[in-house]
Amino acid sequence: MANSIKLEIITPSKMFYRGFVELAIVTTLEGDEGFMYGHSWACKLLDIGELWIQEEGADKDDFRIAAISGGFIDVKDSIIIYTDAVEWAEDIDKERALAEKKAAEEWLAEHKNDGSQKDIDAAKLAITKANVREHVADGSHRHGR
Amino acid sequence: MAVESMQDIKRRIKSVTSTEHITNAMKLVSAGKLRKAKAIFEKTNENSHYITHMIAEIFNSSPEDIPQEYIKGNREVKTTCYIVITSCRGLCGGFNSNILKEAQADIDADWEEPVILAIGSKGKEYFEKRGYNVYDDYLAPPENISFMESREMSIPIIEMYNKGEIDEVVLIYTSFISTMEQEVKNVTLLPFELEHDPDIMKHPKQVEYEPSVKEVFNYLVPKYVEMMIYAAVVESATCEHAARRMAMENATDNAREMLDKLSLNYNRARQAAITDEIIEIVAGSEAQK
Repeated sequence: MANSIKLEIITPSKMFYRGFVELAIVTTLEGDEGFMYGHSWACKLLDIGELWIQEEGADKDDFRIAAISGGFIDVKDSIIIYTDAVEWAEDIDKERALAEKKAAEEWLAEHKNDGSQKDIDAAKLAITKANVREHVADGSHRHGR
Repeated sequence: MAVESMQDIKRRIKSVTSTEHITNAMKLVSAGKLRKAKAIFEKTNENSHYITHMIAEIFNSSPEDIPQEYIKGNREVKTTCYIVITSCRGLCGGFNSNILKEAQADIDADWEEPVILAIGSKGKEYFEKRGYNVYDDYLAPPENISFMESREMSIPIIEMYNKGEIDEVVLIYTSFISTMEQEVKNVTLLPFELEHDPDIMKHPKQVEYEPSVKEVFNYLVPKYVEMMIYAAVVESATCEHAARRMAMENATDNAREMLDKLSLNYNRARQAAITDEIIEIVAGSEAQK
């Protein structure tokens, strides 16, 4: 059994997860990256993406998957992930994610030329987030997007 | 003792009783809300120190790479932005007036024109009435605020800071000590005042920053402001409920005390009336003899 490392996932309103994991895979700004016990110390920014964790004692292919909306990861003797919002795959309301995506896409199609840059960016961001949530809810695989 | 008529006293008893009912009900409602707010506050409080700690750590381990505009002493402080967190409803004792007193004292000490961000309608009304420029306001009841909303409030502040329109951000809010005691706090969010704190050790190992220290820091600073504002709003909402509960408890106690006095007076007046009647009857029967 591999060594495990303590992982804490923090959002502004609550401690989302606290436990020991053997492996945590996150999407950093420069690509997917996995962290295990004994990783060199690091502090990296995260992109909107998926978070995969293999809990202590879990089978080799048994991952818990969550959708995460950016943030940062702090790897020292324990891992701390700070994010604005995070959701386990099983808690995602797929219907809602799809509806949000549709609304954002419609808005974007309508206001492509007259919307302010800020609103367009926000709509694009909403689509990205909805995509990730949809994929995660489907139990999609990494690189599958 | 001025003898009031029984009718008058009765009327007053009725009115005080209904006031007592209202204050007592409000007290119970506030107690319930306080419990809820306190639970949220405790969770938030637990998390917010991570961010501050991280910033201090990064600063201590690689001070040369950090964007200097965020560090105190590198920028002349001219315009200050005050974020004043009050409540939207009254009847909470000295809660709002304590905050506004502190904010006013701060603004008076600064001769530059302040930029005010009012969270809560009481603060907005106060500053507008006095002719200050209220840059922005947020008026929904603070207990329902979500992190995303507090984020929207903080984004323009960071933008203004980066553009140089404001040089300092001060947060004035009420800090929760216990249900009986709250304290007005005044925190400077930006620029940071980071000393090389001996408690925060320099990392014994090399830390890998990605994409770069500067970018990590540029991400953390707005996060820090967002977190602090969110935490302050949550804390302030907790204090508001605690203050209101106290105020309503006092009001209920006072009303009860008043009722005791009034019913004593009422009984006295009743006794006096009976005595008067007896005297009249006795006098009448005496005259018949």
